[in-house]
Amino acid sequence: MDLMNAYFKQKEVFWNNYIKSAVYDMINSGLDMISDGQTRDSFINIFTRKLKGCRVRGRTEIIGKVEYKGPIILEDQKFVKKILPKSKEVVGVLTGPYTLTKSCLDLFYNDEKNLAFDFAYALKQEAEELQKYVDLISIDEPFFSIKLPEYAKDIISVITKNLNPPTRLHVCGDVSNIVKDLLDMPVDVLSHEFKAKPNLFNVFKKYDITKNICLGCVCSDKLKIETVDEIVCHIKKGIEVFGDKITQLSPDCGLRMLPRDVAYQKLKNLVKAGAKLYGK
Amino acid sequence: MFSFTKEQKIFDISGVKIGGQPGLHPTVLFGGLFFKGEPDFDNAKKQIQKMLYLSYKTGNPGIPDFFIKKEEYIQKIINFIEKTLPKNYPFSIDIIEPDLKIKTLSYLYKKKLLSRTIYNSIHIGIKKEEFETLKKFTPTAAIIVAFNPKDKSPDGKIEVLENGANLIDNGLLNIVKNIGIKNVLIDTAAMAPGENSGASIAAIPVIKEEYGLPTGCAIHNVVEKSKWLNEFKKTKKVVDASSNVNISLFGGDFAIFGPIENADMVFPIIAWQDILISEYTQNYFGINPDENHPRRKLL
Repeated sequence: MDLMNAYFKQKEVFWNNYIKSAVYDMINSGLDMISDGQTRDSFINIFTRKLKGCRVRGRTEIIGKVEYKGPIILEDQKFVKKILPKSKEVVGVLTGPYTLTKSCLDLFYNDEKNLAFDFAYALKQEAEELQKYVDLISIDEPFFSIKLPEYAKDIISVITKNLNPPTRLHVCGDVSNIVKDLLDMPVDVLSHEFKAKPNLFNVFKKYDITKNICLGCVCSDKLKIETVDEIVCHIKKGIEVFGDKITQLSPDCGLRMLPRDVAYQKLKNLVKAGAKLYGK
Repeated sequence: MFSFTKEQKIFDISGVKIGGQPGLHPTVLFGGLFFKGEPDFDNAKKQIQKMLYLSYKTGNPGIPDFFIKKEEYIQKIINFIEKTLPKNYPFSIDIIEPDLKIKTLSYLYKKKLLSRTIYNSIHIGIKKEEFETLKKFTPTAAIIVAFNPKDKSPDGKIEVLENGANLIDNGLLNIVKNIGIKNVLIDTAAMAPGENSGASIAAIPVIKEEYGLPTGCAIHNVVEKSKWLNEFKKTKKVVDASSNVNISLFGGDFAIFGPIENADMVFPIIAWQDILISEYTQNYFGINPDENHPRRKLL
């Protein structure tokens, strides 16, 4: 009703309160790296709503050439930066070009690859703006786990090339068949669902780990709250495989499907488990 | 001036026809009462009589839109409606607070007035209690406000109608369908200047082409928020009244034109506009204006 009151009083709608509540939950849980929580919209619509050539419907429809027309998530990251204590870092999260491509209904290109590249060029412009304000740029590409296109590395490279902050590629789902390709991606950190898909440890074990790892440690779609000891045990398994390549601990994926109190407790336990093993 | 490819729905709301192709039915005009201060029933009666006369003269239906802002006004205003309006004449109730909406629905039911009630409005602020009350005490018609705080463009308005834009669990059209309201009007949610104010007009043909439902808006709100117009007091009134021509010109079916006191300017302006549209749409698309159309009444 708050939003409607803004309408009835014809006042500007301020989304900052929603961002603030997500950010403060993350700060209070003890996390070091904080995102804007993506409260504004679904992770697809946040981007397609502000790109040329996209028309938001049930699924976003592509009705023209996809082009950047101005900042997308930049203002929200600036706001996060403003309210964060100096000791915390900001993660700018971009939904990846392939995931955007696969999530939209293409009525214009009839060519998945060209569409994916145009999304990548647009996201590159956003990343260039973002890099002045964030400490890490994370690219979210869940669709890579369903099918990795032959041009996957190229579209990620379009975004990450010549960026100053470190970059991370997050691919949730079962990535056991594409680990070799993932390790070859032009990013600094790989992030996967190691809690929901513990078999990934066995697959990664077979490779020389050349990237830093963001270890998924709590399930993002289950109500059961993992205990601190359970998470510690999970991280230890990760250390056996990745050693000091583990540079970040995180939930498996975004926690938007969970009730707020459950999500918060999961984060708290995650932080406690991390502190037990790595100290603060 | 144009015609829609999508079949247009026409509703008969307690004797007032609304919707259809441009040029078929006159634009329905909602005049607001009791927005400021205590309800002044004597003045309200005069204003309603004046609006009904203008409606009779022009053919444009005039519907009084009663703003209820306090619980203590519910019975007084509804009793006034019952006593003052012609038998079976439709009216709309305009309420912001969900609690007041629920109490008002219950009283409208008690007074057997729901068959004449246009519920203004259903929007993303709807909660379970309001939904359940609407199911129990269902008005004959409702206005859906297609306000999407994430996206004020026509696409954003469609999104909130279609799927709730992740702000609520269901699209507003589905919500209204699940309640069982038969006559649905879409308000394209006019926003202040600087907030994509033009989108409320641009959205009218988009929504009519998508759903075929009667569509309009309160473009008066945009004029109210154009503070720079305060320097031009006389002109502001003209702008306020004439801003409503945008609605009919873009194929819209109704205008919520602000205070009912503006009726004497709004009705002739819109009647004139409706005639202009009808002349063309009959010639080019073969749309014969309804027998109550201003073109039949005034020419």
